[in-house]
Amino acid sequence: MLQKKICMLGAFAVGKTSLVRRFVESIYSDAYHTTVGVKISNKLVRAGGKEVTLVLWDLYGEDDFQKTRWSYLKGASAYLLVADGTRRATLDKAIALARRAGEEVGPLPFIFCMNKCDLASDWDLDPDWEARVSALNWTILRSSAKSGEGVEEAFLRLTRKTLGL
Amino acid sequence: MTNFPKEALARLGYVFLEHQGNAQFRLLSPAPRWLSKIWNITGEEGSTVPIAEKSPFLLDFLYEADSLLGSGADATCQSEPWMENSASGGGIPLQAMAFQVNGKRYLALQSPETQFKERTQLLQTARESLLEHEKLLREIQKKEILLHCIIHDLSQPLSIMSATMDFLAEESLSDKARGILDLGKDASHRQLSMIQDVLQVFSADLKASFEAEKGADFAADLLQCADKAIGGFVPVFSAKRVSLSLAPAVDRDASWRVRGEPTRLERILSNLLENALRYAPSGSRVTIGLSREREFVKTTVDDEGPGLPAGMSPSQVFVLFSKGKEGGGKAGLGLYFCRLTVERWGGTISCESRPERGTRFWFRLPAAAKRGSSPESGAPNPEIRKRGEPQVGKGPMRVLFADDQEEIRLLTTYQLERGGHRVVTVANGQKALEALQRETFDVILLDEQMPVMTGLDALKAIRKQEKQSGRAVVIALTGYNTDSDRVRLLNAGFDGVLGKPFSMKALEEMLRLPVSALVHLNPERAGNHGAEPDLLQKLGGDEKLLRKISRTFLRDAPKKLAQIRDAIRAKRGEKLAFSAHALKSSAGIFGAERALKLCQDLQECGRSLRYAEAPRIYDSLKEEIAKLEANLRGYAGLKGLPRAGATPKGRRRVTGSRRKSK
Repeated sequence: MLQKKICMLGAFAVGKTSLVRRFVESIYSDAYHTTVGVKISNKLVRAGGKEVTLVLWDLYGEDDFQKTRWSYLKGASAYLLVADGTRRATLDKAIALARRAGEEVGPLPFIFCMNKCDLASDWDLDPDWEARVSALNWTILRSSAKSGEGVEEAFLRLTRKTLGL
Repeated sequence: MTNFPKEALARLGYVFLEHQGNAQFRLLSPAPRWLSKIWNITGEEGSTVPIAEKSPFLLDFLYEADSLLGSGADATCQSEPWMENSASGGGIPLQAMAFQVNGKRYLALQSPETQFKERTQLLQTARESLLEHEKLLREIQKKEILLHCIIHDLSQPLSIMSATMDFLAEESLSDKARGILDLGKDASHRQLSMIQDVLQVFSADLKASFEAEKGADFAADLLQCADKAIGGFVPVFSAKRVSLSLAPAVDRDASWRVRGEPTRLERILSNLLENALRYAPSGSRVTIGLSREREFVKTTVDDEGPGLPAGMSPSQVFVLFSKGKEGGGKAGLGLYFCRLTVERWGGTISCESRPERGTRFWFRLPAAAKRGSSPESGAPNPEIRKRGEPQVGKGPMRVLFADDQEEIRLLTTYQLERGGHRVVTVANGQKALEALQRETFDVILLDEQMPVMTGLDALKAIRKQEKQSGRAVVIALTGYNTDSDRVRLLNAGFDGVLGKPFSMKALEEMLRLPVSALVHLNPERAGNHGAEPDLLQKLGGDEKLLRKISRTFLRDAPKKLAQIRDAIRAKRGEKLAFSAHALKSSAGIFGAERALKLCQDLQECGRSLRYAEAPRIYDSLKEEIAKLEANLRGYAGLKGLPRAGATPKGRRRVTGSRRKSK
């Protein structure tokens, strides 16, 4: 059976762990629990007629206290890049992380999730954020671990990317 | 060691294994309980266990360790903590260490539950604090923007009303008319008082800063604030292994009272400490210092980080939305807030790279008066304003006028030129500096709040440049129209301050002009609810000015409408309020009351974050603006604007179609 390592990347408190839990366990909690270190979960999916085990590496969010350890991306087939629509600085952080990931491990497929779309009325982003991100040729999805919107789609599209579909 | 009870290792949560090759390991110590909980391994000591294939994280770590230990030398390699799922649910933290002794490779695994919990708790607290802090900063900024909007809304029509009444007062009037005029003046003064009230009601922070200037009782003890900030930040600093302390040279028995408000002062220190922590390397120190400099107290925050990036000036660090290297900062509001607050209290703030290592952020605040002395004794002397008033002499002058509102620029220019002066107008501080490079001026008028470069920043640059060339006369125009703001601006180096709304008389006095030299106009006449004024007449028959204003409106209105539309689509309340306000100001020049009302409604939608009704109002506004544009094109076309086709006579006036629509 095929196995694909997928890493979660983004600033702290953008909802990486919540997205994984929603996808793997169909669970969501409003409480914020910071991730320390790495947590690995598996999920079996079907894509392009094949069964694929996704090995999801939920990495701690980068901030002043914990810097991303780039060696975790070695052997990864793709990564999910996450930002929080209610905190504009997390988009800048996502852009910086994607650039750095390219430098550290070379080109890897990824999908960008602007998360917390259930709070869209509280989003604090420049009106041209989508144009800015599109200019980088990123695949953009709006997601919400709370409502489930875009979560399944994000991981399945990412799986297809890893299979070159 | 032969008698060492290996069970003790299991009790401590450790297991030791020897690498057998081919990812196989032999148990050297009894299996702790977590080993069976995670991987169902209960093997006896000496048995071989397929541990590497059980954990993707461990497999990666061993691969990495292999390359590090490959040299053959005795070495160790340690992993970061990671979580494994236990069979019964929940996570168990693990940490691995690979090492080599006498050519043999070993693996030690540990479940550091206690340390992991402590670390998690510390990081959880620190990150929750950061999230709270970010939220607070967003709220503050929102409030500042709202306040700014409100002040401008109230100030602009008042400015025009005052100018009109000043003009009328110079005419020969009957006693009855003069009495009515006085009524109008009273109303104008009352509205000015209302603006002051709005300032105080809507901004507790600003109010606190005004109160702070009223006397020594509102002073803050910097030492207490520093102690409190240090106490609050020590856990966060410890998590990053950075020490934080007060400089040993600080005399704890001396008075460190400054003019200011303690809560905001603590917020300033918190912002500076947070900034220092962002760049302080692990194992380094951050120190807060206090020193007396004549009538001021200087506070320093020193770190041992990389220093300011090459090419970055201190003024760039403190602007709105400025972020650190590679976007290392957050929203870019913290240092901007520090600057606003310190300057409001009559102080200065800056930063510099330290010669030895790291960066020094510092701010200087006026020392507070001792208790029991005169309330004003701690404040800058208000007379400074008189001393500083420009003496630019009589007769025609060369005036540089910087304001971001094009309509204000056009009208003020019109009035000054009627007084025989030559005026150069620019839209921001940067453009003012460029104009000063090209020519010299007798007097410079700078609006305080402008995009790109504020009036205050422009003044600093002017004062810096003039050291060789002699002092320029620079007057501030400000919407923050309180005594404390005037003192703040005079302390910053302006020669005079004109609060917005300013009357032409005040401007004349400031410039030492004869009153009769000026002609005023009133595009938005008070009490005008239907009788439409003739725009050309209002502009003193100046066709050129009318064409210019019309062209500006026709050029800018579509852009302003587009900004409103985008703000509605993106549900950006502040942006919507701002954009609607900008269009309202322009429409106000032409007395388009329906458009004004719709802009006002959209502003309200933006302020109260009500988006549902905004598209409908926007559509109506678009129609009104289209009518206005048609009128202006017609009007301007008849006056010789390069536009093809004649315009119906009925559309000569701005007010023509509005009469029709009614």
